[in-house]
Amino acid sequence: MNKKRYLQIRALVALFVATMMAIAVSNHSFLLALTTLLTGMALMVLVRLQANIKLDEREIALREKAAHLTYAIFAPTIGLGAVIMLIPTQGGFEVFSKGEFLYIESLGMILAYLSLFMIVVYSLSYFFLNRKYGGSGDEK
Amino acid sequence: MKNKIRVFRALHNLTQEQLADRVGVTRQTVNAIESNKYLPSLGLAFKIAKLFNAKIEDIFIDEEGDYEK
Repeated sequence: MNKKRYLQIRALVALFVATMMAIAVSNHSFLLALTTLLTGMALMVLVRLQANIKLDEREIALREKAAHLTYAIFAPTIGLGAVIMLIPTQGGFEVFSKGEFLYIESLGMILAYLSLFMIVVYSLSYFFLNRKYGGSGDEK
Repeated sequence: MKNKIRVFRALHNLTQEQLADRVGVTRQTVNAIESNKYLPSLGLAFKIAKLFNAKIEDIFIDEEGDYEK
């Protein structure tokens, strides 16, 4: 299987998962969503193993840069989103603390914890990778 | 950092695909190196130099300011 065929099959699997997920969400079926997710993951692993795709250093460098860029964009975005959603409720605007606006505070809290979680994961990964690649600074 | 991979490849009568297979990378990577869009790792640079039976500095030419990129 060449890379083109691999990408085509991967796109088909992604389409299948997206369709099934949409059906699961519209039918409120947790079991279908879970089954689809697990099936999709298994299919992706199988296709990947069959394809034997060559992963070279440029591809790895690209992935590293893309991951860093994603973090650099996503973490401040959800952090800022959390602040914007929490300011009205924390700022004493009563209208945002009840009724249909109540979910805004909950969503703000979720985003705030999510951004904190991302920062913690990034810091821990950085710490361990720094140690692995000899950045402890101890002179021998 | 400039390089003479294209010249050495022509001298050894190799296509980008063949060179890529010999050094264990994709054709896209060889193309990116040749067009100075990607700097190879030291390991890959050594592999390429060894394949062409040349020194690294004969293939890769250092230019001022390269390390600031």
